[in-house]
Amino acid sequence: LDSKVLPRPLDGEMESKSLAEMYPMNCHSRYLRLTTSAIPNSSSLVSRWHLPLGAVVCPLAEAPDGEEVPVLNFSPTGIVRCRRCRTYVNPYVTFTDGGRKWRCNICSLLNDVPGDYFAHLDAGGRRVDLNERPELTKGSVEFIAPAEYMVRPPMPPLYFFLIDVSISAVRSGMLEVVAQTIKSCLDRLPGFPRTQIGFITFDSSIHFYNMKSSLMQPQMMVVSDLDDIFIPLPDDLLVNLSESRSVVDAFVDSLPSMFQDNVNVESAFGPALKAAFMVMNKLGGKLLIFQNTLPSLGVGRLRLRGDDLRAYGTDKEHGLRMPEDPFYKQMAADCTKYQIAVNVYAFSDKYTDIASLGTLAKYTGGQVYYYPSFQPSIHKEKLRHELARDLTRETAWESVLRIRCGKGVKFSSYHGNFMLRSTDLIALPAVDSDKAYAMQLGLEEALLAAQTVYFQVALLYTSSSGERRIRVHTAAAPVATDLGEMYRQADTGAIISLFSRLAIEKTLSYKLEEARSSVQQRIVKALREYRNLYAVQHRLGSRMIYPESLKLLPLYGLGLCKSIPLRGGYADAQLDERCAAGYTMMSLPIKNLLKLLYPSLVRVDEYLLKASSQADEFDISRLPVTAQSLDSRGLYIYDNGFHFVIWFGKMLPPDISMTLLGEDFATDLSKVNLCERDSELSRKLMKILKKFREIDPSYYQLCHLVRQDKFNKMHNTEEQMFNSKTEITWEP
Amino acid sequence: MTEFLDLETQDGVRMPWNVIPGTKQSSSSSIIPVSTIYTPLKPLPSIPTLPYTPLRCRTCRSVLNPFCIVDFASKIWICPFCLTRNHFPPHYYSISDDNLPAELFPQYTTIEYESPTEKSTVPPVFLFVVDTCVIEEEIGYLKSSVSQAVGLLPENSLVGLITFGTYVCVHELGFGQVPKVYVFNGYKEVTKDQIMEQMGFFVKRPRPATGVIAGVRDGLSQESISRFLLPASECEFAMNSILEELQKDPWPFSSDQRATRCTGTALSVAAHLLGACVPGSGARIMAFTGGPTTEGPGAIIGKNLSEPVRSHKDLDKDSAPYYHKAVKFYEGLAKQLVHQGHVLDLFACALDQVGVAELKVAVERTGGLVVLAESFGHSVFKDSFKRVFQSGDYDLGLSSNGIFEVNCSKDIRVQGIIGPCASLEKKGPLSSETVIGQGNTTAWKMCGLDKATSLCLVFEIVKKDSPEAIDQSANSQFYFQFLTYYQHSSGQMRLRTTTLSRRWVSGPGSIQDLISGFDQEAAAAVLARLVSFKMETEAEFDPIRWLDKSLIHLCSRFGDYQKDSPSSFSLSPRFSIFPQFIFHLRRSQFVQVFNNSPDETAYFRMILNRENVANSVVMIQPSLISYSFHSTPEPALLDVSAIAADRILLLDSYFTIVVFHGSSIAQWRKAGYHNQPDHAMFAQLLQAPQDDANAILKERFPAPRLVICDQHGSQARFLLAKLNPSATYNSDMPAPEREILFTDDVSFETFLDHLQRLAVQ
Ligand SMILES: [Zn+2]
Ligand SMILES: [Zn+2]
Repeated sequence: LDSKVLPRPLDGEMESKSLAEMYPMNCHSRYLRLTTSAIPNSSSLVSRWHLPLGAVVCPLAEAPDGEEVPVLNFSPTGIVRCRRCRTYVNPYVTFTDGGRKWRCNICSLLNDVPGDYFAHLDAGGRRVDLNERPELTKGSVEFIAPAEYMVRPPMPPLYFFLIDVSISAVRSGMLEVVAQTIKSCLDRLPGFPRTQIGFITFDSSIHFYNMKSSLMQPQMMVVSDLDDIFIPLPDDLLVNLSESRSVVDAFVDSLPSMFQDNVNVESAFGPALKAAFMVMNKLGGKLLIFQNTLPSLGVGRLRLRGDDLRAYGTDKEHGLRMPEDPFYKQMAADCTKYQIAVNVYAFSDKYTDIASLGTLAKYTGGQVYYYPSFQPSIHKEKLRHELARDLTRETAWESVLRIRCGKGVKFSSYHGNFMLRSTDLIALPAVDSDKAYAMQLGLEEALLAAQTVYFQVALLYTSSSGERRIRVHTAAAPVATDLGEMYRQADTGAIISLFSRLAIEKTLSYKLEEARSSVQQRIVKALREYRNLYAVQHRLGSRMIYPESLKLLPLYGLGLCKSIPLRGGYADAQLDERCAAGYTMMSLPIKNLLKLLYPSLVRVDEYLLKASSQADEFDISRLPVTAQSLDSRGLYIYDNGFHFVIWFGKMLPPDISMTLLGEDFATDLSKVNLCERDSELSRKLMKILKKFREIDPSYYQLCHLVRQDKFNKMHNTEEQMFNSKTEITWEP
Repeated sequence: MTEFLDLETQDGVRMPWNVIPGTKQSSSSSIIPVSTIYTPLKPLPSIPTLPYTPLRCRTCRSVLNPFCIVDFASKIWICPFCLTRNHFPPHYYSISDDNLPAELFPQYTTIEYESPTEKSTVPPVFLFVVDTCVIEEEIGYLKSSVSQAVGLLPENSLVGLITFGTYVCVHELGFGQVPKVYVFNGYKEVTKDQIMEQMGFFVKRPRPATGVIAGVRDGLSQESISRFLLPASECEFAMNSILEELQKDPWPFSSDQRATRCTGTALSVAAHLLGACVPGSGARIMAFTGGPTTEGPGAIIGKNLSEPVRSHKDLDKDSAPYYHKAVKFYEGLAKQLVHQGHVLDLFACALDQVGVAELKVAVERTGGLVVLAESFGHSVFKDSFKRVFQSGDYDLGLSSNGIFEVNCSKDIRVQGIIGPCASLEKKGPLSSETVIGQGNTTAWKMCGLDKATSLCLVFEIVKKDSPEAIDQSANSQFYFQFLTYYQHSSGQMRLRTTTLSRRWVSGPGSIQDLISGFDQEAAAAVLARLVSFKMETEAEFDPIRWLDKSLIHLCSRFGDYQKDSPSSFSLSPRFSIFPQFIFHLRRSQFVQVFNNSPDETAYFRMILNRENVANSVVMIQPSLISYSFHSTPEPALLDVSAIAADRILLLDSYFTIVVFHGSSIAQWRKAGYHNQPDHAMFAQLLQAPQDDANAILKERFPAPRLVICDQHGSQARFLLAKLNPSATYNSDMPAPEREILFTDDVSFETFLDHLQRLAVQ
């Protein structure tokens, strides 16, 4: 295989547009992508497809201005749904009987049109009011749910903070950054004036804070009976932010100094978590955990098992990637049940068993943020940005997600960070635009009779403004009888997204090697299958052929195998880092995932030197991520969405480095913190970085500086992808 | 009488028998036991304080006193208790007949030593334990009282704060950043070790592997202690801001429930905290509670309001399911506090009972103060509480860390003490096998004591009657020595010694001697404590029968009569009012408990058990003074006959003071005569009893309830209940102008008739 001729995603993601052309009323692909838009009509086709068959859903994906999902209020009629399968009325239902009946596109049942919803049909059989009915013309709509969609009044947005204040947490400097960031976000938390807030801090004991609005300052209440945790107040541990604002301000202002002299080395994390749960469970909401010390006291106590080298490389290694104590999974289940979503922010420079802690995020629709060896000088901006985004992004609360599909096909498994409430209902205590969910599809019978298969994603949630809403995305896909068509309609992004989730799941019960090879083998089999289809007619010999739609699949596949969760052997990534990356990738939308697997590389020195050029005129032209792209006279930025690497060529004119780095330019660059200096050059570089960061604000790229010859330290260069012991042959 | 008062002024001592029935038999036939009511810290007018340590007998450890025989030539003194000859140390060599050290002056039978070297380094500690399960109004009263108290404390005294309701909150006053509390579950008893662990005492300095850890000397850092106990001057602001924001216990309960109140756990946490921080030095837990304990150890009742709080009847029938468990818990607490040397003061203010009956043991054993009132806003509480911290003339003289020891002649045994103290179980040849009160010892702990604290010591005479005439001339004196070590409020350690000598008599001819030494007031006070003690400790005890029998026997023995001739009966003036005391004692709150709640009874008895003879007598038989235009104020008979339209009566029943206006006086007052210049006499008449009442209020602790009422008014019952029902509807000769009492109580005349009849049989 010649890597030089390998197609690369240098011009942005290649995404098939044919489905949108075929079904213009489909929801936008940012919400729903199928691994192939040609649904196989038989199980034999499925078996020859080799790649995952399924969908990736990002129900709250951010839409550009002007493409927002319309919000519809159906009261007092009620939302029109199929009597049998509960499908929501959508562009693909058909009206008959003079407009008095409608046929469900999913289950074909003929439903009565409710009186209030009736409209005459025109000669073409279309409703005369079609233009005023977005639900009949648009693939994505949002209904305001009436009272019957509520089991209780819509909850207010609620943010609860569980903060480690043991000595290592205080010394890391994390506490100060967290407190400052929370304070800076208080005006921007969604849901004013209903937003609720509360705090618990912990070391060997648990500190509650009475934030009653009438108090001058918060009152700290310490509970140390770890075997018998109780909450010391019935109310006021969770308060309305606007009412108690001055108390909350006083609290976050004094939080860092309150513990500056703390010498407590213990962590009663488990009991503290239980306490937070007890405070929150009346309402639900988001629980943000800031964790620095391996839980050492009480229930949920964890061992330093990750430091036990004996398990590595053995059949037991995968166990280290699984949660050790069932406490965490049980807590996660309880949280989900009570509409609590957990985000874990971990900061330790030592092993903290992210595998166990992350379970909390995994099963509650949450997220794991990991800042190993946190140092404010390095990580402050990243933490600030990511925490601020977590706190201020639009969030849907107490939600459930279901994807329906037409007769003959069936979703068989779901992959991502959530808990399945029943066989097909995904419980999501909180969900936002940064979360995607994947599911696999199968045929119910050997043969599929329909010509078209319809999919409908429905997310029932409470908006921060306190409305109960249902967001509905509907799409249609043609049924194919031809394997080639399936391959031609394949969506590499969706395939890779599903692959990454399946592979990460596999690492929990198998060796890393097995997880990788299963991905690789499926790709090889698929390409071989495709080749076999055409080998005869094209006489291609041993050359690899692939459809346009899958041309990037090998590259991304390799990227996936080199990604932190799957990479190498145990020594190639710290266990905690591996687990944290796994939890992150399990929820990543396709776009972010692809960028992570094949980062962008751009050369910037010429641009920086060009007189009077502005950052916004900067033309991003991506280079292949290979050593050959790097000119030792150049300055390059490598960006995978999570990290920047700024690469200084050996022959880069020293005045450039000096201007950019000042007195630091000669020192070990790994210790240098890039900051804006008083020069046009520096300002321009920082502007570029800023612009790159703005492209996708869901994560903040941490900046690493390297000099030439160190680049191989970075992963996911193509050289690294290909020059590996586990390399497989792509030849059939 | 005056001679007994003189003795009291000299030594703080009153004894029923000032001539002692000197043999086992004669003392037992004298009915009233040989006993003493002793006020160890009674302010004595001319008592010197000696700046050195006392000399002690090398055998029995008694202290050199005026009754010792001194041989000036050979510099030897002979101990009157054990007759050991002791050498004076060299610095006494200059003594002679006319150069005596003060402790040998005959008038200084009571004297104090203050050792200049022994001074407590730990200032007095006040740990406030405040109930928050009360209505907002009560919280308000509490806040202002406690904050006032903190302002009045000596600057160096250490202050701590615990609040409780459903949970116990220990306030970390020294935290500084934000108000901070450690919270403990109310239903669960915690150990001292758990407290220390959970409150972070071992975070900076790890727990030593072995040994008891408590206090600075013993392994705790001063830093960790001063998180919770701060000098008053430093924490006044913190205290006040906490009190300012103090909230009612926030946990809801339904209208058919009682609040969840964990008084027992709170007190236990308080005791552990003091035990950890300041063991062995003077500290007071000041507990304020506004309702019954319903949670955790020490609960006296369940939360369901349909369950009534135990009554005397329930206790009698043993159908108070929480009672014994709670008492047992507080006995444990008492033991712990005594061991640590700490005091429990109880301020119980509620309309309901709060559990004083159960808590009594812990308060009494530690010498704590107790105040029972209806509300924290009531003057009974407010005035009393102010007194605790007041300095000057009405200073209570709170002292701490006391140890009380008794020495006596070898024919006497100590049965025990009824009063605020705890036996140190120091058994010796002088401790009797038969125990009354705190016994089995010759040493007692008095964690808290003050100027008023009065102990009732009960003795047993073990000397056998011998047939031959005893050598009374040589050895007719019994000696007693009371030693009280205590920490003065100045922090200085002091020792007060009181040495007594009393003549003893025996044999048939001794009756007149005994009569001449009989102090009937002291006897009544001792009997009141005894009967209360027996009622509390002896099952099936019949107090009326016991009192009647005692009185009859006493009258038979010491009365003057011809057998079977009631009319011939007479009593010496020494005994003459004793039957009247017993008559009133029978009717008093100490004996007629069913008229009160167990809490009230416990309260009355706790006060009785710490008061001197004069005050006890007022409790037994209230005093009544009449004011009128016809005469200067004069004592009136405690009888309905004292009521008259143109009189004002001032009744002092110790716990209540009643100013009672006769109907005409009331009318004149309502008409406003006292405001008219030509009726200045009336204004004076109105004012006089008020002034006298105020004088009593000022010096009495706890402050009594003051009732000002008019004849026929509803409040008049406070007076009527105390009067002898000489004119009831049962009376043979109803006098129309008299107040009629509707009661079946026997009148004093009838009582006396019966007594005379029975005594002469
Ligand atoms: Zn249907
Ligand atoms: Zn002696």
